[in-house]
Amino acid sequence: MSQFHDQQPIFLQIRQRIIEMILKRTAAEGDALPSVRQISADLSVNPLTVTKAYQSLVDIGVVESRRGMGMYVNQGARDKLLAHEREKFLAEEWPRILNQIRALELDPAHLLNSGSDQGSDDE
Amino acid sequence: MMNDLAQTSSAPIISARGLRKRFGKSEILHGLYFDIPPGRIYGLVGHNGAGKTTTLNAILGLTSYEGTLRVLGEDPYARRASLMENVAFISDVASLPRFLRVRELFALLSNIHPKFSPQKARDFLAGTDVRMEARIKNLSKGMIAQLHLAVVMAIDAKLLVLDEPTLGLDITYRKRFYRRLLEDYMTEERTLLITTHQVDEIEFMLSDIMFIREGDLILHMQMETVSTKFSQVLVDPANLDAAMALRPIFSETRFGQTVCVYDGVDRAQLEPLGTVSTPTLSDLFVALMERPTANPGAR
Repeated sequence: MSQFHDQQPIFLQIRQRIIEMILKRTAAEGDALPSVRQISADLSVNPLTVTKAYQSLVDIGVVESRRGMGMYVNQGARDKLLAHEREKFLAEEWPRILNQIRALELDPAHLLNSGSDQGSDDE
Repeated sequence: MMNDLAQTSSAPIISARGLRKRFGKSEILHGLYFDIPPGRIYGLVGHNGAGKTTTLNAILGLTSYEGTLRVLGEDPYARRASLMENVAFISDVASLPRFLRVRELFALLSNIHPKFSPQKARDFLAGTDVRMEARIKNLSKGMIAQLHLAVVMAIDAKLLVLDEPTLGLDITYRKRFYRRLLEDYMTEERTLLITTHQVDEIEFMLSDIMFIREGDLILHMQMETVSTKFSQVLVDPANLDAAMALRPIFSETRFGQTVCVYDGVDRAQLEPLGTVSTPTLSDLFVALMERPTANPGAR
């Protein structure tokens, strides 16, 4: 089972994948998201774990649970997530990355240029 | 919501109080205490001969026992026939009557099991290579596993017991087997109890784990609790003394690197020592099987 890493609870890893679906617009605002059962079967994880991942997104107002229908992306979800993820990146990851850039004496301008070249075939 | 139901669930599906089993003078189960609530997927892990199959047999009413055991509120040994309406099990992938055709098997089951739906079983098999006219003895091991799964999934049971359900199957069939269970069978009213030696394959499916050692239940815990209670550290060689000072419950040197497993040690204390992760169930099993004192956190 190499689809998960073991440094973070599985529900957080599933949550992160759902967040990426919304950020990359694979699931647009108003769209239905994969059902708990679907994700559970696809990833061979306990349905309760998937429910927990969704619940955490319901709690921050990104996802709406419609009774008997499943999970939907809320209006304004993407902006909310962008703000949330940017804040998390700047607080948790950026300081570490910046340190590494300085330690390796890399040129930020050069890094940004080569990054944008590769970024285009990502989609 | 599934989690709401699981948390507010009232009566346990299985309840054991001092469950004990003796064969002559030797005691196989030394008095087990546990409750299994509905809507959960339980993994029961132990060495061969530890008492797993005896426990399952007691739950299925196939063996007598001492102490109290209730399955769906009933004594399984005294009420086996009525209980079987709500309990399904796969004990061995090869135990279907080999001389029958699939169609005949379904007809037989319709007659003997009130909650068996031949239509559901046929629908399930439609997605496989198993044909209705095939004789069971001519089916491959993987096909028999699919047939077995079709049969149990066509029974509207509240408890499904799987004893080594994928033994001898290749990885593709094993994955398909569990996928179908999660996709088509599991609901918040149903409970799964699984034993397997390939525990790492089903680790993320499980909601709860039970380790049984020499007739004792040495661990009974929600998977979520496992990941907060137990930690595994790949220790940087310079920190080895510090790592040992925190009293790991298990340590092992692999390829010159030492891995330590801790019970109830704060992760903040462990982070400086090396790479911290949650042990896999098989690593945890090895660690707890070798630990001299039992019952670290059985509920």
